[in-house]
Amino acid sequence: MNVQFKKGILEICVLVLLDKKDCYGYELVQRISEKIEISEGSMYPLLRRLTKDGYFTTYYQESSEGPARKYYKLTEKGRIHLREQMQEWKEFSNAVNQFIEEGVSSE
Amino acid sequence: MNKEQFLNQLDKSLKNLSQKERKDIIRDFEEHFAFGQQEGKTEEEIAASLGQPNQIAKELLATYHLEQVEATATAGNVMRALWAVIGLGFFNLVIVLGPFIGLAAVVLAGWTVGVVFAASPLLVLFNAVIYPETFVLFDLFFSIALTGLGLFIAIGMYYVTRVLTSGFIHYLRFNVKLVKGGMKHD
Repeated sequence: MNVQFKKGILEICVLVLLDKKDCYGYELVQRISEKIEISEGSMYPLLRRLTKDGYFTTYYQESSEGPARKYYKLTEKGRIHLREQMQEWKEFSNAVNQFIEEGVSSE
Repeated sequence: MNKEQFLNQLDKSLKNLSQKERKDIIRDFEEHFAFGQQEGKTEEEIAASLGQPNQIAKELLATYHLEQVEATATAGNVMRALWAVIGLGFFNLVIVLGPFIGLAAVVLAGWTVGVVFAASPLLVLFNAVIYPETFVLFDLFFSIALTGLGLFIAIGMYYVTRVLTSGFIHYLRFNVKLVKGGMKHD
């Protein structure tokens, strides 16, 4: 995909992943980059921005191997934001899907 | 690029940020390298999939300057945020700089009209001093009326400027959130 406007979608992905459980940065980056082609470094500015907007809090947890992990935890504000974003995404993707189906069936 | 080169370049590009914030950012990336290496990746591979440190720094700086501008919307802060957002990509040059020039022209024109109207009696008096024979009392009264109008325009422009500035800052935020960056093949 070479769309300019994919960045907003990353935000939903992060929010959805954190809704299930707290994750650390590396984990989030890996889970998303498995499925969507991103330059991994840009996830960190995104995480910082969403933290500053009050959607996440962070805490450190020692791990048996390697450095302490910085975990991101979704806040109540983040949950509300996620619900809004998902609603918008559903409406948007339904509209696009409808266009595709109509286009394909009329051929 | 290895880990040290990557982190150095990132740190250098972030020199506008506070020491504390820079340290925190570098720490996040050190953590990322450590976990990548645990999975058996080389420093070079990890750095390559992270992308250009410059681009990452640009996004961090754009967010930082927008925060500054939201705290205090001084002209300097607005300009720094504007350049930081434009720096995110060529695309932004068009969709950010264009509206900015348009709005700035409107604001400048409004203020100019207000100030010139308000100052018009001075111009009439100035004229009267240089060419006393052309002085007509009507000009003076008319210019005093313009002063009143100019003051109203200036007051109006004060509010217009405030609304446009905060609207434009919202637009910048929207840009940082949505446009460019984050994707490969930028």
